[in-house]
Amino acid sequence: MSVLEKLQTIDRRYIYLLGWIFVLVPLLHPLGLPVSIGKYSTAYYNYLDNVPDGSVIMVTFDYGVSAMPELYPLTIATFHQLWNRDFKVVIVASWNQGPLVMDIVLKELKPAETYGKVYGEDWIELGWVPQGEIGMAALGKDIWSTKPADYIEGKPTSSYPIMQNIKTAEDIDLIVSFETGTPGLPEWVRQWNTPYGTPMIMGCIGVMVPEVAPYLQTGQLGALIPGLTASAEYEQILKHPGLATAGVDAISMSHLLVIILVIVGNAAYFMSKGRGGS
Amino acid sequence: MADLFAVWIAVFFTLAIYTFLYKENPWFRVAESIYLGTAVGYGVAFDLKYLRDQWTGVWSSTGLMMTAFAFAILVGLLWYFRFSKKYFYLYRWPLAIIVGTGIGTSMRTIIFAQFLSQIKGQATLPLFVAGDPMTSFNNILIAVMVPCVLLYFWFTGGSRELGAMKVIDKIARYTMMAGFGSAFGYTVLTRYSLFIGRSQFLLGIPPNPPEAKMAFVTIAAILLLTLFGWDIYKRQTPEIPT
Repeated sequence: MSVLEKLQTIDRRYIYLLGWIFVLVPLLHPLGLPVSIGKYSTAYYNYLDNVPDGSVIMVTFDYGVSAMPELYPLTIATFHQLWNRDFKVVIVASWNQGPLVMDIVLKELKPAETYGKVYGEDWIELGWVPQGEIGMAALGKDIWSTKPADYIEGKPTSSYPIMQNIKTAEDIDLIVSFETGTPGLPEWVRQWNTPYGTPMIMGCIGVMVPEVAPYLQTGQLGALIPGLTASAEYEQILKHPGLATAGVDAISMSHLLVIILVIVGNAAYFMSKGRGGS
Repeated sequence: MADLFAVWIAVFFTLAIYTFLYKENPWFRVAESIYLGTAVGYGVAFDLKYLRDQWTGVWSSTGLMMTAFAFAILVGLLWYFRFSKKYFYLYRWPLAIIVGTGIGTSMRTIIFAQFLSQIKGQATLPLFVAGDPMTSFNNILIAVMVPCVLLYFWFTGGSRELGAMKVIDKIARYTMMAGFGSAFGYTVLTRYSLFIGRSQFLLGIPPNPPEAKMAFVTIAAILLLTLFGWDIYKRQTPEIPT
């Protein structure tokens, strides 16, 4: 068997091993590759920066723990920007593991100690809204009865000062969502953006980008952070480096590996074909 | 101490799932089964919590509301007739309600949210943006490519044989290939991002707990030794013919 043929039948486990090496080495010994700031991350930052103080922002967790490696750094960075301003933040989740992720966010950011934010006055967590799109529609119509109790203290939603003037979707000025799939952006657009005109911005995993990008063009989506690379850029803009920035070298190296493998695989295929191979 | 134990458990399950990259094995099976069980249990607990909140917060206020709540619970319980051959048909009632409300809810705005707005977005796209040649170029591409792809799926009549349609078909195919390539590239980004995030945890990179690094080395060594050791043992032990 020639080298060219061997390259095409290589045991996939060697490729996995290379994948581990190309990720772990830059994480252990950062290369310090530069991060260039792109238009998506700048637009996302500027959008939030231009929201007036006192606005009511609903943050929605449309992802579970399985997507944390890609979306958690963005979530942390976004809350850092939100809690550094005078916004009223209402947190919900259309995925049932969303509150679990929020627990970890709270453990890391400590809103009371770090940002001086009071629970129930400056922010509130309402928890999981079941049934996907139907739940979103019900929430838009009546927040108090769709989520009668909050997630953290279990008290009636209507008893909190922050919720006194927040009853329907019309009282929400912006949705910020973090997403991995369904339910997600199309459902929010159908149940909130179209009937109530509530503007939206979002961060999502890379796989979703081709699906959600058309909503940017129509203006239904105000800004988009596509994947971990853009999250790293956003952290740089905020001057709040986190896990995304720490992972940039590994992203670059892992993509370099994929590009090399694609080139080698194709070269071996066409060269062996040129020599009369199958 | 509890946190340290949780870190070791998390490292074990992460690595046990990754052992599938080597081959199917008992470590992976154990981790997979426990994860599935935990995730389902978590979901059920959240469902019950939601029911309790609804009861105490909304539906327990009047006799009529209580009756309505009990009726909804009864309809919900009909789901379980899915497992009965005799009364299987009863399961179709809650299914019909779920499907009906789901379709009705999404259909009320879908024509505006995902059809008309996309047409409007396409129709109002500026082909020339002053001072931004790249955006202008992108917009021209969108203006050409979107109609071409739509026409590619136009199957009525014999117009496909026209020379112009052959050019359109070619543009549409290139457009779709570019779209698939973009989707593949983003998929690679996501898969590696997930792996990188987990690796950051295994290496204890802040804000991840630093104890994870020691757990990673220890548990990885144990898993690798058992996997390779079992393989070597199997190779050296001839199978007894039955």
